[in-house]
Amino acid sequence: MCFIMYLILFCFVLGLVAVASNPSPYFAALGLVVVAGMGCGVLVGHGGPFLSLVLFLIYLGGMLVVFAYSAALAAEPYPEAWGSWPVVVHMVVYMVGVVLAFVVFGGVWYEFSWVSVDELGEFSVFRGDVGGVALMYSSGGWMLIISGWVLLLTLFVVLELTRGLSRGALRAV
Amino acid sequence: MTPSHFAFTSAFMLGLTGLALHRYHLLSALLCLEGMMLSLFIALSLWTLQLDSTCFSASPMLLLAFSACEASAGLALLVATARTHGTDHLQSLNLLQC
Repeated sequence: MCFIMYLILFCFVLGLVAVASNPSPYFAALGLVVVAGMGCGVLVGHGGPFLSLVLFLIYLGGMLVVFAYSAALAAEPYPEAWGSWPVVVHMVVYMVGVVLAFVVFGGVWYEFSWVSVDELGEFSVFRGDVGGVALMYSSGGWMLIISGWVLLLTLFVVLELTRGLSRGALRAV
Repeated sequence: MTPSHFAFTSAFMLGLTGLALHRYHLLSALLCLEGMMLSLFIALSLWTLQLDSTCFSASPMLLLAFSACEASAGLALLVATARTHGTDHLQSLNLLQC
């Protein structure tokens, strides 16, 4: 189990290396999908299934879908994948940097030196993160109202940015 | 540093480096910003789960809501850039160039 967690964490960092090496946005969005999937695996392994499902639904299913079709604005005839030369140089430099940082900061941690501990009381399906998020509706009610207000303001910000002033909002792009 | 802490710390640093050293597209900078937000979500959730402070698990949810706001504002800027400049290439954003 700890080996699977190690593998998931490694793929997490590897996916973000693939995003940070700045290929064409199609491939960077694909790397971000992989990173989000691995992040969900990390959260499930530590005993937080609700936060993992929230990440899947809202982040992958909401935000990354919007990024995926916005990548059509960055369309080019020959997109740079992970095989082209500047992208490969960036990836190699980032991987070497991560390995060096692990050598410096890793300390005494190796593959079998840590285990995931998960607790549940007599096969209950109630998890800690479910109860904690429910607090957002009771004690944290004001934060919920403020967040809703912020989301409404962001809607107005986006509508104003894409209004197009005198040229109109319905254009080819 | 434990492996999970090292993973999201290095993920954040990698996203920050990719944001600072972006090359052609504005959208790749926005995607690196999204990667940083994702690593922060994982960091806050792992804090909640590893320290058993379940009251704190509302904070990754709120971070996700505000990160959605920021992503939509960034994408609206991308659309506005593509409408006025024709592309989202950063070389075409040279109005302030002397």
